[in-house]
Amino acid sequence: ADGGDEPAPAAAPGRAQVFSTVVDTFLEKLVAAGSYQRFVSCYRCFYKLQPQLTRSIYDQFISQLQASIKEEIQEVKNEGNLEGLFSLLDKIVEEAKDRQEPAWRPSGVPARDVRSALVPFLLRHRAHLRRALQERQRRSSSLAQEVLTGRDSIAELQQLIQARQQAWQ
Amino acid sequence: MSVDPMIYEAQFFGFTPQTCMLRVYIAFQDYLFEMMLVVEGVMLKKLDGIPGCKISPSKIRKCTEKFLLFLKEHFDKLFSKMEEVLLQLVLNIPKNVLLPEDRVQEQYPYSEEQFQALQDELQQLQQQCRAEAVLEQELRAELEEQKVVKAELEKILQCFDGLENICREHGAGNFKESFALLTQSSKKLQDVLKEVEEKSKKMNQHDHLM
Repeated sequence: ADGGDEPAPAAAPGRAQVFSTVVDTFLEKLVAAGSYQRFVSCYRCFYKLQPQLTRSIYDQFISQLQASIKEEIQEVKNEGNLEGLFSLLDKIVEEAKDRQEPAWRPSGVPARDVRSALVPFLLRHRAHLRRALQERQRRSSSLAQEVLTGRDSIAELQQLIQARQQAWQ
Repeated sequence: MSVDPMIYEAQFFGFTPQTCMLRVYIAFQDYLFEMMLVVEGVMLKKLDGIPGCKISPSKIRKCTEKFLLFLKEHFDKLFSKMEEVLLQLVLNIPKNVLLPEDRVQEQYPYSEEQFQALQDELQQLQQQCRAEAVLEQELRAELEEQKVVKAELEKILQCFDGLENICREHGAGNFKESFALLTQSSKKLQDVLKEVEEKSKKMNQHDHLM
């Protein structure tokens, strides 16, 4: 019942460390299960003939098996960049240690999940539009002022002309 | 193991933890079988070198199978134990943990309605912007028109100025005044003329009578 009763997943031992510890424990227990006694009891006939050779074959078998398994584990680590991902995940988990409630998870409905991802862009767009609108409103209200004074000065000119015209009549 | 697809873990690692464990399992198993074959091969070769050996290859094969069966059983048990621990402690993202790439999900937990409202607001803003642009264009167009009209009106005023200048140059500084003066003197002249005519008429009558 102790195939790897590691301490709780606290921040103390990193994931990478837990990973190797668990794999090492697995190998230890595997070797313990396939003990020399067990080997001899299976290959009794050969052992009777060649006891010393049996020992050396067994030793080689075990060390080769261990080496191969360790190599494979290393390869998996390299391929998946596990060391980097483990320490990154450790950091993320450590940062989240103060929050208790379950975090967001993909809902499985892309349309729903994409909403929140779009919101910051839309908010930036809104801020931009609001600024642009204010700018435009400011511009057109000053233009409107200009137009009104223009109309006034045209009316003035027209009155002036009318006066001159009447003077000539 | 319950059916947990561990998709959030897959998102982080780039592979599902179960796939990873399956790969490791198959690799380990291959090594185990391979090593056992090597062991058997070495033994058979050794026995070949012993003259008059009574141990047959099939006997050795049985021994191998016995050991392998035993080892495989333990191997499977140990491996599933290891897998369980790894999936729980190492290849696992705790429930309370949110991956950095998904932070927006908690920063902006917009509901369908909120999202729609935001989009509507954007659309409205865009329309307002467009309307404002149209208004600006119209105002600018009117300003252009005003420029033309002003220029025309100023030209007319200049015409009046020119007319007055011409009058002044020809001794009629103020047309109205000189016109009034002229009318006055012509009236006077007319009066005088009438007087003269009457007088001459009277003189003629006087002459006839004489």
